[in-house]
Amino acid sequence: MTDRSGRVLRMSYLAAGVAGIAFFALSVLLLGVWPSRVLEQQSRAMAPEHVLALTASEQRGREIYSREGCAYCHTQQIRYLHTDMLRFGAPTLAWETRLDYPHLWGTRRIGPDLARQGGTHTQDWHFAHLFAPRTIAPDSVMPAYPSLFEGAPSRPRQSARDLFAYLETLGRARELAGAEGEAHAREGCDCAGDEMAMMAFAPAMALNASPARPRPRGDAPELPGGADAARGHALFAADCAGCHGPAGAGDGPSADSLQPRPANLTEHTYSRARVVDALWNGTAGTSMPGWRDVPPSDLAALADTVRTLDSSASDTPVAPDQILMGARAYAANCVQCHGSGGDGRGTAASELRVAPTDFRAQRPSLSIAVRALTLGVEGTQMAPWTDRLSDAEILAVAYYVRSLFQSDGGVGTVQ
Amino acid sequence: MARSAATDHGAVVDHALVRAHTIAALVALLFSVTFGIIVAEQLVDPDIVGGVPWLSWGRVRYAHTQGIMLGWLGNAFFAFLYHGVPLLTGTRVTSARLGWWLFAVWNFAVLAPGWVLVLVGISQPLEWAEFPLSVDAFVVLGLALAAVQFLPPFFRRGVEHLYVSSWYIIGGLIFTLLAYPMGNAVPELVPGAQGAAFSGLWIHDAIGLFVTPLALAIIYFVIPAASRRPVFSHFLSMLGFWLLFFLYPLNGTHHYVYSVIPMAAQLGAIAASTLLGVSVILVVMNLLLSLRGSGFIPRDIGLRFVATSTVFYLVVSIQGALQAQMSVNQAVHFSDWVIGHSHLAMLGFATFAAIGGIVHAWQRLPAARYNAHALEWAYWLLVAGVVLMFVDLTLAGLVEARLWQSGAPWLDSVRAARPYWIVRLLSALPIAAGFVALLVGLTTGPRGGGLRELAVPLLLAAESEIAPRLAAPNAEALP
Repeated sequence: MTDRSGRVLRMSYLAAGVAGIAFFALSVLLLGVWPSRVLEQQSRAMAPEHVLALTASEQRGREIYSREGCAYCHTQQIRYLHTDMLRFGAPTLAWETRLDYPHLWGTRRIGPDLARQGGTHTQDWHFAHLFAPRTIAPDSVMPAYPSLFEGAPSRPRQSARDLFAYLETLGRARELAGAEGEAHAREGCDCAGDEMAMMAFAPAMALNASPARPRPRGDAPELPGGADAARGHALFAADCAGCHGPAGAGDGPSADSLQPRPANLTEHTYSRARVVDALWNGTAGTSMPGWRDVPPSDLAALADTVRTLDSSASDTPVAPDQILMGARAYAANCVQCHGSGGDGRGTAASELRVAPTDFRAQRPSLSIAVRALTLGVEGTQMAPWTDRLSDAEILAVAYYVRSLFQSDGGVGTVQ
Repeated sequence: MARSAATDHGAVVDHALVRAHTIAALVALLFSVTFGIIVAEQLVDPDIVGGVPWLSWGRVRYAHTQGIMLGWLGNAFFAFLYHGVPLLTGTRVTSARLGWWLFAVWNFAVLAPGWVLVLVGISQPLEWAEFPLSVDAFVVLGLALAAVQFLPPFFRRGVEHLYVSSWYIIGGLIFTLLAYPMGNAVPELVPGAQGAAFSGLWIHDAIGLFVTPLALAIIYFVIPAASRRPVFSHFLSMLGFWLLFFLYPLNGTHHYVYSVIPMAAQLGAIAASTLLGVSVILVVMNLLLSLRGSGFIPRDIGLRFVATSTVFYLVVSIQGALQAQMSVNQAVHFSDWVIGHSHLAMLGFATFAAIGGIVHAWQRLPAARYNAHALEWAYWLLVAGVVLMFVDLTLAGLVEARLWQSGAPWLDSVRAARPYWIVRLLSALPIAAGFVALLVGLTTGPRGGGLRELAVPLLLAAESEIAPRLAAPNAEALP
């Protein structure tokens, strides 16, 4: 080989080396640095003035979430796709993730996306679920994390509290920003012509679309009748028995960890509308989630199954003066919360974490009613009444509230 | 003649380092596959580990993927490089002492502590980057040592005739050294969506700049060396090399399609993914044509692993191009389809190439034990396991995708996946058995059995001549 051709060859290798480095640099510029700059500008333009940073506890929870690989089954990234949005809520905006070091987007969903998990489940639910997931959802494959607890979900270590605190932050920033924040973001986005970017602000879109997130009572759909009983029982066993127990007695494997305890469905007579409402909206303030992702025919079957679990006596013969005594005691002591006529809409009802029982739509058994009056209901504001009411009055109130039931009563249909 | 050939091989190839890295690779492989089985088992019986933190799903998964990439493939690639680089360059690697330092850093400052740390809960939640930053520093050190060890031989003898394997080795070692810190550190420094953009890059760089180039270096080396025929077209080899090095790094954002990352970057990555699929067809065509005359199932076991790896490479690349398309991606993304894809890439393509490379090198060690029968078993068990797992997970992904799109309750997709997860767990049986057979194949049997298998001394003589000439642009004149 001549000197000249050797030099040419060396030059060409040098060129190739430079080209190779340039390819790599190009990829980092095009797909790393440039998108990062765009996202940073976007984030700055759209973020509300103050974004709440994580507290020390929330930050520790985030570290647990990271080290346990939660992000490898639960994404934290809702895509600009209707299937994602209908299931999880508004697509993830860049500014919502601007305090995430490092990001926890994930690329696999064995469990659902958690970008808007905050406020969806109660602390009790999370503790019971983290301690032993299959006590809540028998078919779940989530790993159990008993090491976060001292032997029982009711005895969480600080680490369990931290993890729960972190989960509650997911989606919080955008929720706190509120309507004003959305308007600001939309303005900052400056993307009126960009159909996909605008999906993040679709007006009809609930920010958090989790079908499990409890909602206030009312607004449940009409469900078809004539449902398949076998299907209902199968669904109950798969989705409800973890908390409510196989026979619905409120004694499922996770029941002891939940406050208030899961409803004892064998000791209550419910109107169908009441059951449908609880299934559709969940029960705010309790661990009962909504089941809005269950198809209407399944939901109807489930509602019918729940009503068949009731084994409480329907009619107890009772003297009219006893009812009168109960009515008087009720009017003096119960009406502020449970409302006149027992509709659960007393003047104080809206202040309560757990909505007071609507006695028109649900009739407790005598023993359950007496027990609630005597001992109160843990996890709710229902206090024991033994210091205010005599035993006779307590019994009379129990009879009275049972008399208020209307089997065809709807929820919120009567004022 | 035979004697001088053997001396030639012995004069440039450091047998001890080939052996050490091969054994380390196999040990790491058995650990990693055990981690994989623990993870797969937990999807079928989630309470089997009884809530023991260091056996919990997330942590063991970290150990599984990092072990496969760094422990198994890393060591296997190094083992091959100790064989391939001297033969490609006709000169020794930089230093045996450096080699032992690299071995020690890679296994005792990266792999062992990395595993321990992720299992006790010190890690970072970034895909293909789960070892903590303290371990990452030693990975970068190891990659730098590898560059010093393997790159100078290419330049020492002059670079008039760099064979395509050499290009891949040089490219792979340099670009991994650049990409690794970016993928492991940048998402810790820039937040959320911005960090995800860099993570996306790294997820594809890990496969595109580390695994693929070194696997292809093995394939391009083993095919002519074992079949004793030159590659079909040196031009296509080089065209493929440049296309791959241009396109692989541009794929990254396809992991975040329909995200908030600018659509232009997403579309660019999807276009690059499509072109990559086309380029791989070109590369594989060249490789398959180079295999002409070796039979549908080559008799030489190293060559057979490499040939099968080539076929897996074609399938996984076409699948990759397909699943990057928005209409496909929106359905199958996040599902087991992707897990099937990554196993076809790492377990099908890369692992088969790595096995081909280490078996090829091992066969030529005069004092190494060699059990051809066990290797035969290893091959068929692994083929059966990989195909079963890939088909199973792909179907699982389609089922999950359909349920997610239908709006059914989330748990329905978990229930529907269960039978597929059981089959996937069963596919671990042939896979694990295949790896054990591989270990048996390389640690039992007569010493020097591999050489006898090759009908030496003819081949060694030929190879010591071929190796430098593999590099010749027109190597048709090989014996």
